[in-house]
Amino acid sequence: MSGSRLPGQDQRPAVTFTFAGRPVVARAGDSIAMALWAAGERELRRSSGEGRPRGVYCNMGVCFDCLVVVDGVTVRGCTTTVQDGMRVERGGRP
Amino acid sequence: MSEARVLHAEVGIVGAGPGGLAAAVELVRQGLSVLVLDEGQQPGGQIFRQLPPGAAALPGQEPPSHQAGHGLLAAATEHAVPVHHGATVWNVAPGRLWFEQHGQSWLLCCRHLVLATGAFDRCVPFPGWTLPGVTTAGALQVMVRGYGVVPGRRALVVGSGPLLLPTVATLHQAGVEVVAALEASSRWRALRALPAVLTNAARRREALWYARSLLRAGVRLRWGWTVFACEGDGRVQRAVIGKVDAEGNPRRGSERRLEVDVVGAGFGLVPSIELGQLLGCRTRYDAPRGGHCLEVDGQQGTSVAGVYAVGEACGVGGAEVAMAEGRLAAAAIVAAVRQTPIDAALRTRVAAERRAADAMLRAFAPLPGLHRLATDDTLVCRCEDVPLARARAAAALHGDSLRAIKVGCRAGMGPCQGRICGSSLQALATGRCDVVPDLPVAQVPGKPVRSATIVDAPEPPATA
Amino acid sequence: MVETAEVVVVGGGIIGCAVTWQLANLLPAGTRIVLLDRGPIAGGTSGSCMGHLMVTPDDAREYAFTHESVRLWRELQEQQGGFDYNPTGALYLADTDEDAAMFPVLQQQFGACGDHADVLDRKQLRELEPGLAADLPGALFYPGDGVVLPMLACGAMLRAARQANPNVVVRPFTAVVGVDCDARGVSAVRTTPATIATRAVVNCCGVYAPELQRTLGGPPLPIVPRAGNLAITGHHVSPVRTQLLEISYLRFAHGAAKVDPTRTDDPGGHAVNMQPQSHGGCLIGSTRQFRGMDRTLNPALLRRSLQRAQRYAPGLAAAPIVRTWVGLRPYSLDKHPLIGPWPAVPGLWVAAGHEGLGISLAPITGRLLAEMFTGRPTTIDATAWLPARFGA
Repeated sequence: MSGSRLPGQDQRPAVTFTFAGRPVVARAGDSIAMALWAAGERELRRSSGEGRPRGVYCNMGVCFDCLVVVDGVTVRGCTTTVQDGMRVERGGRP
Repeated sequence: MSEARVLHAEVGIVGAGPGGLAAAVELVRQGLSVLVLDEGQQPGGQIFRQLPPGAAALPGQEPPSHQAGHGLLAAATEHAVPVHHGATVWNVAPGRLWFEQHGQSWLLCCRHLVLATGAFDRCVPFPGWTLPGVTTAGALQVMVRGYGVVPGRRALVVGSGPLLLPTVATLHQAGVEVVAALEASSRWRALRALPAVLTNAARRREALWYARSLLRAGVRLRWGWTVFACEGDGRVQRAVIGKVDAEGNPRRGSERRLEVDVVGAGFGLVPSIELGQLLGCRTRYDAPRGGHCLEVDGQQGTSVAGVYAVGEACGVGGAEVAMAEGRLAAAAIVAAVRQTPIDAALRTRVAAERRAADAMLRAFAPLPGLHRLATDDTLVCRCEDVPLARARAAAALHGDSLRAIKVGCRAGMGPCQGRICGSSLQALATGRCDVVPDLPVAQVPGKPVRSATIVDAPEPPATA
Repeated sequence: MVETAEVVVVGGGIIGCAVTWQLANLLPAGTRIVLLDRGPIAGGTSGSCMGHLMVTPDDAREYAFTHESVRLWRELQEQQGGFDYNPTGALYLADTDEDAAMFPVLQQQFGACGDHADVLDRKQLRELEPGLAADLPGALFYPGDGVVLPMLACGAMLRAARQANPNVVVRPFTAVVGVDCDARGVSAVRTTPATIATRAVVNCCGVYAPELQRTLGGPPLPIVPRAGNLAITGHHVSPVRTQLLEISYLRFAHGAAKVDPTRTDDPGGHAVNMQPQSHGGCLIGSTRQFRGMDRTLNPALLRRSLQRAQRYAPGLAAAPIVRTWVGLRPYSLDKHPLIGPWPAVPGLWVAAGHEGLGISLAPITGRLLAEMFTGRPTTIDATAWLPARFGA
């Protein structure tokens, strides 16, 4: 696992969601992309043409490289806040 | 379907960054009704990113400029400036902002519009830039300062311009080892920024703060270096760095390899002008300010009546410029409503901040030679997976305009709508770095939204 | 030195590219053929349209015309590829009993042409396309249709042309400023950088074809633009894999226009067409409206067409729309394309006016024009499409 959180007291409640079927514990207010980064996940989608791994690139809603599928709907991982019980799948080419 | 999702305000503002918030605070203070729409979850925009409430704070001191950010956010709270977060504006007309929020379709009707849409990182394609773990410099700032997430253990920071130092400082504060910080410009070119920094008190303080913080971090900025390639299995594990000449051309043979687990690349910023384009606002090209910008008059008014633009949308300039322009736009709107004069000091302030910012940015104008980092199989369009060779073939057959390249290889037609590749595609595909690139065409939706959002878009009330 | 060409093709859209490709196949190798466009190759209608390869069984002549063209598309795919050819077939849909009653009629028409299409019941339809609304009464499936990406297909045709004849010259951003004539007819094409001496010009300018023709005199070319609003989704979100058409499309798009096409107060209409793309997205059209060269979006028509698309494929509602735009179809006043010589000016040829079937019919158009140009017998009887019918 690479990636972690800043040291110090995080007072936010924990939020649990699944990514590609695996449970991930996040903090309330995390974006999906940041919760996954903190959990060590870098590959959020497969590219359209060649099916290569892609992840967070701009982190501000511009590049659409961090597309994930939440309950069947394609969204930007970096602008979508995690919710308890969310089911998140990798985006892009199946 | 289209229920009563229609909101009203005298002034609709897009963007809750320094420009938008400064305008909003001033307008509310003057008794006008305002609604700010912002895609983020917290006010402050990219430059004054806020952590979610309750998150652990970033250790260490903040740069002096962030004091202004705290002041602005406090004023916004004090004056109860209404901000709709998570709102994606997808269509616009004079006095109309259509937006999607939490999957629902809304319309804001207003008399005046302020576009404070900011900017995003200028991207220069290089081999391996699509590997997970390679991000924009801005992405790392957001990661640390917006979410309290530590990007990695060993970081490489590359690019050009005044935003490199803040990126390095933030990473260091987050406990990341910055193994190298590479500025593509030469030290001599950058020295041209010095007078602008020295004559502006705030910028002088800021520069000194970063100089000290780099010293503490033990990071030395290497001038005339950049990243040549990133490598790794499924994520970045190594970076190849090397020297570039005064024009940014890579000097092959100077390569070195570094073990890294995160790379942040930022070659300046590109103004976000799509909403202005959809409104039909006149644009102009200004290379040091990031390329195509919205043209504004001496009161931040665009060429379209009732539409104002502030901050990076009128050309990159930083938070101080944005706040000064936000206040001027607010004063211009108040003046239009109340038939009162505009305080001349506001205009003087904008001019002074712009002067300082422009002088600084001229020293870091985009280096054309950096477009030679990409090789035939480097992707130039991340959305559509278009390699450089295919973009070149498209330009050779279809013509050398941006439109010709797009229809010839579909680069720029994906969900980012050409924002990421737009500033480099034409130069890369034609091999001509010295010509003014075409203005990318803006189309509805300004950003992708659900089909249902378009179908359910509220109609403006007939009397509004 | 004076530049010369055996033939100058004006207009680098799908028709101009197809004409160039087929001329390159039929003229002796080494013949100089120049293709010009004042903008990019595929920068006009062919860069802003859908990509339906459509077989229409209205009668034996239409069937031969469209079927042969779709066959030529398959040949181009085998020979060149690279234009997202997808032989998805076509599902004709309806949501009223009246429209559903057209399924067996259309099926019979395909049968009469010696082809076949299947009427699917509710259950069979759900099996083929689980993403469709559960209440649809059924559909007609015709397996012979397909989808291409027209702008990339232009490139594929020009690659094929150059392989057949290395003397094919392609010049984007080269405007024609005039066509010179002498006693024998066309003598030269004047372009922005140079004059090209030639005895033959082919007008493939689509909605702009009348503009070029005006410089030459004679009766006006009877082509007017018919606007369509389009939308495309992001990648990998298409709720369907097969191309979908409302069967009312046949009535609406293929029947004669009910309004005067030369006026600009047409309220417009729509019959939805959804085309799955190679990247898993979905292209949605097709609205029709006469309003001159206006290319601004008609939000009401676009909304209605998306609404209809969502009605058939409910999953589309949550799919991100990435871009919307307007394309202009070159509508000919008698609903049929113009392919062949323009008798009023010897040496002037026309290939234009295909309305919404330009992509589908491009290869056969190129073939017929090249056959007439080289004095060969035509693959199919092309009399019906000769421009002379407009009194030139």
